[in-house]
Order: sequence, then structure tokens, then C-alpha cells
Amino acid sequence: MATKELKLTIESREKLGTTGSNALRHAGKIPAVLYGHGTAPEHLAIDAHAFEELLHRGGRNAIVTLAGGAKTGETALVRVVQYHPVSHHVLHADLQRVSAKESIAAKLAVVTVGVARGLRESGGVMDVVTHELEIEGPADSIPENIEVDVSELGLHEHIVAGDIKLPSGFKMLTPAETTVVAIEASRTERDLEEASAGPAEAAEPAVIGETPGATEQ
Amino acid sequence: MLTPKRVKWRKVQRGRMTGRAIRGSTLTFGDFGLQATEPCWMTNRQIEAARIAMTRHIKRGGKVWIKVFPDKPATKKPAEVRMGAGKGNPEFWVAVVRPGRVLFELSGVAPDVAREALRRAAAKLPIDTKIVSREEA
Repeated sequence: MATKELKLTIESREKLGTTGSNALRHAGKIPAVLYGHGTAPEHLAIDAHAFEELLHRGGRNAIVTLAGGAKTGETALVRVVQYHPVSHHVLHADLQRVSAKESIAAKLAVVTVGVARGLRESGGVMDVVTHELEIEGPADSIPENIEVDVSELGLHEHIVAGDIKLPSGFKMLTPAETTVVAIEASRTERDLEEASAGPAEAAEPAVIGETPGATEQ
Repeated sequence: MLTPKRVKWRKVQRGRMTGRAIRGSTLTFGDFGLQATEPCWMTNRQIEAARIAMTRHIKRGGKVWIKVFPDKPATKKPAEVRMGAGKGNPEFWVAVVRPGRVLFELSGVAPDVAREALRRAAAKLPIDTKIVSREEA
């Protein structure tokens, strides 16, 4: 359960748009927005290092107490974090105002617990089909992740979202029939031979709308 | 080897490789992936060579996803031919890769095996890449 006290220092942001945001990033800060509870969105700047540390300490689904200016003492939740696809630096963050007892929806990572029977006895491969599940519950007790016990899962068996037990007060928003973890058969000898085989020359693809056998210059 | 089954046109214009990957820049299936940090035309032979290197290393178990497909025909004029007289013949197929694109994904093996398999796959590719994992993301 996310019971840690997390704090984040924020400051209001005047310069908006690409130029203003890029200038902010060069200064070691992240542009962010704070919204929720029916008020107008507010543009913020957050220290990049402090924010990444916050995420590292489990701030992804925990209530964060804001500090700085008129918003000191307000509580918020980190909703969306945008990363640079190559450098993986945080580009932007969305914060949503929440109160401790408010019911909110959150996407949590799936963490498997134990070694599946299908892996131990039959040499299968575990495939985590759904990596995130969406749940709804009180904002102050959202877990960091959802643990799924796979130890009794045999070969060709799977766990669906509806099978997962959640803490009391939470309900699953992901459709119950969604497959979460499956144990598949390992690759066979023939697959291994195919995988190790050298590249085979493929035939030239057919051109749509062209009559077969027609020569082209 | 990866090639399209049907195409609309035998030859296409070369296009540009500016910018970064708009899609396919995150891990979607596996726990580890190989991400491009440079743009390139990646041929079907290179993709196949990387796949073979990876699957040979992980041997049994594990699952591999190839997340790029060479759907662009690349043409070449024969050797010692004067310029002009039309576009060359389609010779191979390429995938246009931009920085940030996740090329391969891997799951179901130990982290050290996955990293070594991806390192071997990276050696078969014409660009700089980096290994990304779900934990880092």
C-alpha cells in the first residue's frame, strides 16, 4: 500500500508552448499541469531531478503533497508522464487534484509472484499478456502494483483479470475476460531448427491490380 | 526472410528519414527490447540475421517479437550502367527506422540472457542501438 509521505515542490509557470517548455527543460525543470476538482488547469514547473526521484520512490500511484506558493498542502496524483522516446527523460507530467478518500481509477503494473507449475514441470514459457490493469478505489490506499500468483498455473492455462483478487474497497475496471498471464509451450525442436536456419530467398510479391505474368519495363 | 506478400507498387520513392519514431517507441509485449538511436534503412537480411543471433543464444524458452517489417522496396542499378534510362530494379526490402523505434522485444528468459541475446542481435544491425527494459521505463 502506498502509505509513504511524498512531497513535491512546484512553482507556477508563465511561459507556455514549445519555446517556453523547451527553455524550462534546459533549465533542469519539467513543465507540468495541475487539474481536477472542477477548477481551471494550472501550469506548473517542477524540478526534473526531484520529480524523477519521486517516481522512483513509488510516486506513480501515491498521493503527493504539493509545496510552493498558494498550492502548499494540496494533494495530487501523478496521472500521465511523458518520456522522450530515445533519452527517456521526463518531458511533461500531468497532476490531478485528489482528496484522500476520493475514489479514483488508476492503471497498475502487473507483477507475477512465484514460478508457474507449467514452467517447473513442463518447461513452458510465461507470457504476461496484459502488463497493466485498471482499478478503481480510494486514492490514499492504491497499491504500487498488482501481484498475481502464478505458482499453480500449468501449461496452456491462463489467468484472466476477473480471477485476480483485489484489496477490499477496490474494483477492477479492466474487462474480466482479459487474459493477464498465460503459460505457453516452449519452442519445439522444429522451431529451433527453423530459427537457426539461414535466410531463405523469398519470392517476389504480387503487385495488386497487375495481371500475373505481365512483364514490366 | 521477411517480405510483403502483395504490394501496390513495385517501386517507390526514397522518402526522408528525419525526426524520431512517432509510434513503436515503447515496450509493448516483452520485458526487454532493442531500441534504435539512429535512423536507417534496415534490410530484411539484417533483421533476419539479428533474429537468428538472438534465437540461437536464448536456445529453448523465451519469446521474441520482431517489431519492424521491411515493406519498402529498394532499387539498385546494375554495375557499370550509365545514369538515366529509368529507375533501377527492386533488389531488396527495407524497413524505415527512426530513432526511438523498438526493433525487437524479448521475454521469458533471465535478464542476463536477454541482454546478451539483444547485444548479439545489435551487432548484426547497421545502427547504434540500446537495450531497454520494462523496469527502466
